[in-house]
Amino acid sequence: MLGYVLRRLAGAIPTVFIIVTIAFFMIRLAPGGPFDLERPLDPLIMENINRAYNLDKPLWQQYFLYLGNLAQGDLGPSFTRRDFSVVDLFRTGLPVSIQLGGTALAIALVVGAFLGALAALRQNTWVDYMVVGTATLGITIPTFVIAPVLSLFFGVMMGWLPAGGWGGGRWQYLVLPVATLALPQIAIIARLTRGATIEALRSNHVRTARAYGLPSYVVVGVHALRAAILPVVSYLGPTAAALLTGSVVVETIFGIPGIGRYFVQGALGRDYTLVMGTVIVIAMFVILFNLIVDILYAVLDPRVRYD
Amino acid sequence: MTDIPVPDSDISNIAGRSLWQDAWLRLRRNRAAVVSAMVLVALALAGIFGPMLSQHPYDRIYPQYVRAPASLEAYPRADDIVPAFERAVTRTRVEAGEIEVDGQTVRVPISSDEPIDPRITRYIDRSDLFFNARIEALSADELSGELVASVNRVKFYFGTDANGRDVMARTFIGIRISLAIGLLASMMALVLGVTYGALAGYLGGRVDNVMMRVVDILYSLPFIFFVILLVVFFGRSFVLIFIAIGMTEWLDMARIVRGQTLTIKRQEYVEAAQAMGVSSWGILRRHVIPNTLGPVIVFVTLLVPKAILLESLLSFLGLGVQEPLTSLGMLISDGAANMRGAPWLLIFPAATLTAILFALNFLGDGLRDALDPKDR
Amino acid sequence: MAEETILAVRDLHVEFQTNDGMVNAVKGIDLDVRRGETVAIVGESGSGKSQTTMAIMGLLASNGRARGSATYRGQELVGLPERQLNRIRGKKITMIFQEPMTSLDPLYRIGRQIAEPLRYHARMSGKAARARVIELLDLVGIPNPAERVDAYPHELSGGQRQRVMIAMALANDPDMLIADEPTTALDVTIQAQILALLADLQKKLGMAIVFITHDLGIVKRFADRVYVMRSGEVVETGDTQKLFDAPEHPYTQMLLAAEPTGRKDAVPSDAPILLEGRDVEVVFSTGGSWFGKANGEIRAVDGISVALRAGQTIGIVGESGSGKSTLGRALLRLMPGDGTFRFEGMDISHADKRAMRPLRKRLQLVFQDPFGSLSPRMTVGQVVTEGLKVHEPSLKAKERDRRAIEVLEEVGLDPSMRNRYPHEFSGGQRQRIAIARAMILKPQVVVLDEPTSALDRSVQKQIVDLLRDLQKAHGLSYLFISHDLAVVRAMADYIIVMRRGQIVEEGPTETIFDNPAQPYTQALMAAAIDGTPFRRTDIEN
Repeated sequence: MLGYVLRRLAGAIPTVFIIVTIAFFMIRLAPGGPFDLERPLDPLIMENINRAYNLDKPLWQQYFLYLGNLAQGDLGPSFTRRDFSVVDLFRTGLPVSIQLGGTALAIALVVGAFLGALAALRQNTWVDYMVVGTATLGITIPTFVIAPVLSLFFGVMMGWLPAGGWGGGRWQYLVLPVATLALPQIAIIARLTRGATIEALRSNHVRTARAYGLPSYVVVGVHALRAAILPVVSYLGPTAAALLTGSVVVETIFGIPGIGRYFVQGALGRDYTLVMGTVIVIAMFVILFNLIVDILYAVLDPRVRYD
Repeated sequence: MTDIPVPDSDISNIAGRSLWQDAWLRLRRNRAAVVSAMVLVALALAGIFGPMLSQHPYDRIYPQYVRAPASLEAYPRADDIVPAFERAVTRTRVEAGEIEVDGQTVRVPISSDEPIDPRITRYIDRSDLFFNARIEALSADELSGELVASVNRVKFYFGTDANGRDVMARTFIGIRISLAIGLLASMMALVLGVTYGALAGYLGGRVDNVMMRVVDILYSLPFIFFVILLVVFFGRSFVLIFIAIGMTEWLDMARIVRGQTLTIKRQEYVEAAQAMGVSSWGILRRHVIPNTLGPVIVFVTLLVPKAILLESLLSFLGLGVQEPLTSLGMLISDGAANMRGAPWLLIFPAATLTAILFALNFLGDGLRDALDPKDR
Repeated sequence: MAEETILAVRDLHVEFQTNDGMVNAVKGIDLDVRRGETVAIVGESGSGKSQTTMAIMGLLASNGRARGSATYRGQELVGLPERQLNRIRGKKITMIFQEPMTSLDPLYRIGRQIAEPLRYHARMSGKAARARVIELLDLVGIPNPAERVDAYPHELSGGQRQRVMIAMALANDPDMLIADEPTTALDVTIQAQILALLADLQKKLGMAIVFITHDLGIVKRFADRVYVMRSGEVVETGDTQKLFDAPEHPYTQMLLAAEPTGRKDAVPSDAPILLEGRDVEVVFSTGGSWFGKANGEIRAVDGISVALRAGQTIGIVGESGSGKSTLGRALLRLMPGDGTFRFEGMDISHADKRAMRPLRKRLQLVFQDPFGSLSPRMTVGQVVTEGLKVHEPSLKAKERDRRAIEVLEEVGLDPSMRNRYPHEFSGGQRQRIAIARAMILKPQVVVLDEPTSALDRSVQKQIVDLLRDLQKAHGLSYLFISHDLAVVRAMADYIIVMRRGQIVEEGPTETIFDNPAQPYTQALMAAAIDGTPFRRTDIEN
């Protein structure tokens, strides 16, 4: 298993390399630059700035310079947030995004799996219809509707919770953004779990367990749910990566200092290094979580073996 | 014993019921799916014909009605017309009776000590509320009559936005743009995904491995990366936005189609066709593609709402279509910003979007149940 | 036999609520099981034989409903709440199923699964249960039980999994064991072993066995009493011996007569060789990753020579994984393989797709699975005429239609059905359609890959008769691939016995059946042919 993990991690290096290359040239080929202002700068100043940031060198040279720095863990200085390096920005922003996304993920998993399993066990009853209906609603309402509504109602009108801000990550500040992030995920996970549980309940080995008079908590808990959780696990990989790397909508609406906004802001402001940094971080999260999912899969399903 | 052959009475054609027809029958029995389909048709019609039939063009600005709340009553309201008319009539320095508002006209009986000068109507016309002022039923001595003026009364069922534009017309155009982008982006994902996936699955082996590896790498890139870059490259145009969304959404489609193709390739009916010497193209056309269609159709119905949501997200980020054109996503993000003072700006577009997405999801579920009946 | 009745079923009905309305699967049957006896319920697919026992065990699908009465030692089972039912099922009445591959939970070790009924019914401790499980595994003949107890289901062969199921069924010393087609999914030699094991265990432990099967051969050798079911009703019941000697109901008579009979005469030795393969080898590589080389290979066909003469039927016999289907496809050049291949003397060893196309018309293939071999979205007419479009493209649509009508009539189908879709036909009818698809091209050689294995016995006989008639009428040569020795014996004049890609034995049908020379062939015959008593053989590896 350890060998497999190491091999997978080694295999990720070329993937990251290809992604870095694609992203680097794509963002560089985009028209405009980081220092294009409404009123053009004095050409002399512009030249100085460009020299300071190595923007005057040919593109391929910049590419290799970037790769060299990257190998040493240096993502370069941010172009738009002067005085900060990209690594600094992630050092402060990433923990915030991870705390927010991680909490939302945990809640979504527990609540979603519970609701889904419940609906499956009570298939075609009002419980089932409620869960399916609410889940469909949860999938269809965009986060940028949920977020302001929650903020307005609980924050402004009721005054129970802060309408925005981070407050150092205290729980009062977490509730609304976590709820916004978790709601659609609860909906998706509930639907997935429901489908998988219904299928598992119909499988032959569950029939065996029932034929042998095992109590229903064993039939369901031991035999049906473990099989049903497998598709949820595969869904969690990319989802976890997306949640932990921050959500631009939630962070913008609630004014949270995570890294979710960096990508959009960076791309619009041509903050090359910030965009590249975000791409790399997201890609690494995706790769990492796909690996974790594969390992989890092998743990849960003995038929899956990596030699 | 169904296996005893029926004696051939006449060699007519007894029509069969294909799997498609079966699925269609099952779908028609699914009430949620039928209702969803009707809702979608109604909304699509509203998107297509609504802007033409609407009283207001979607980009017409009414400076006097900024943020007018949604109402079934026409603007300006009778309560606003009477004082304004009164003020205008006062300027004519004639005796005026009780003002009466009747639809698009206002009338007031007037009288004077001197003969009424017909030019007094100019005082009325000078106000931007009234036009076509005239004197009717002038008595023979020209001392009394009725002063009549037309009012331009307009209705804003959904209210107006911060620029004084009709939200209903804008919602109609928003439906049109959102549905169009959703459909076109899904079609694009469909074409790309089916071609790529079928090719990878059918060729198999090393080609398949490399092609799927490319998909894996693209998966690791943030999904809005391309969208933002494309929009940044080429500006915010309608065409670009659906292309950009289509380009990001074809990956799942490619995977599904590839999986399907691999399964179908192993089916005995494909081998039977090979044994008869049917060409690869014939096999793809007659056997592989028709049999992948089921899951693909289901996936497309679920892809459309995804694309619509993605477009809304782009609009929210300020990367959507250009004003004054609009989409449901733009209207919603606009509404979210004005939620406290003008909730109708959020409610109507958000309800419309939710209805569309809800209907598409239920239709997709219904289609899946209909096309894959064992999954129930 | 004055043993007490332990299970009494009276007027049992089973109904299913489906989209097309109510389906009555079981229509009021009576059935008794006495202590220690073996009762067989025989019927073809759709007879309701499985649903009867599912209803007794409270295992009907959620859209199913049982009415009537089924009492176990006076306790009514129909409508009994789950909690009380659970005191009986798994303890007093146990069950094994047809699908050994999926009946065990793939996610847990077999030891744990066998122990579950022990722990919940006998309240055994984990340790005691484990000891008992090892004992049980030994009892059902699993080698190395102390080690295998920790195996996962996927690490066992199909036969071993069925043994594990039997161990689980025996765990609480049941009164009654219901075996629902327990050997249908297994190879003949394994089948024989499992049946021998069950007979053996019954002698030792004395439980009653309810044996559900479609295979009359098994019933004859195994059961004390028989119930014959047909479309939800019991048509005849009685002692096995009596029922086999003097069946009363026409359906029972038909079932008993359904064993394919007749023999095929050998072709003259100077008949021309049509299709020939010399030293055929087919190798599959396994586990290859991208750009990497394969890390293993399976020699599916390992140096086999076959020569099929005009009018001949060669039977290729073997168990699953013996390479017999692969050989058939390699001979038709549908699968890459090494060796020398000739068709009518012409060397086709290196013929590519294009070069093979004109020959395809004369070399046809019929498959086992009548559900998988017809494209589900094409009408029967389209399916049957697809080959004509390739080989006689000049034909007009009307002419094609005429040919389709002709060939459908020939295979005994109503041609007016040609605009229907495959899913609207029964298994036997679908196989007729598949045969029509091959016959419309007027082939000389047809490879028949288990064409009757997925069909009920009575339908099998019809298909065998049809194939024989077609052979006579058109002078066809068949390569008949099958694991079913009774069918092969009726069809083939020459037999090749295959195992692990190699020929074990070959020769004229009479010789192979009457005087098998190799131990493997002998074991196969013993397992498959009526009248031989069961005995433990040493074939399972």
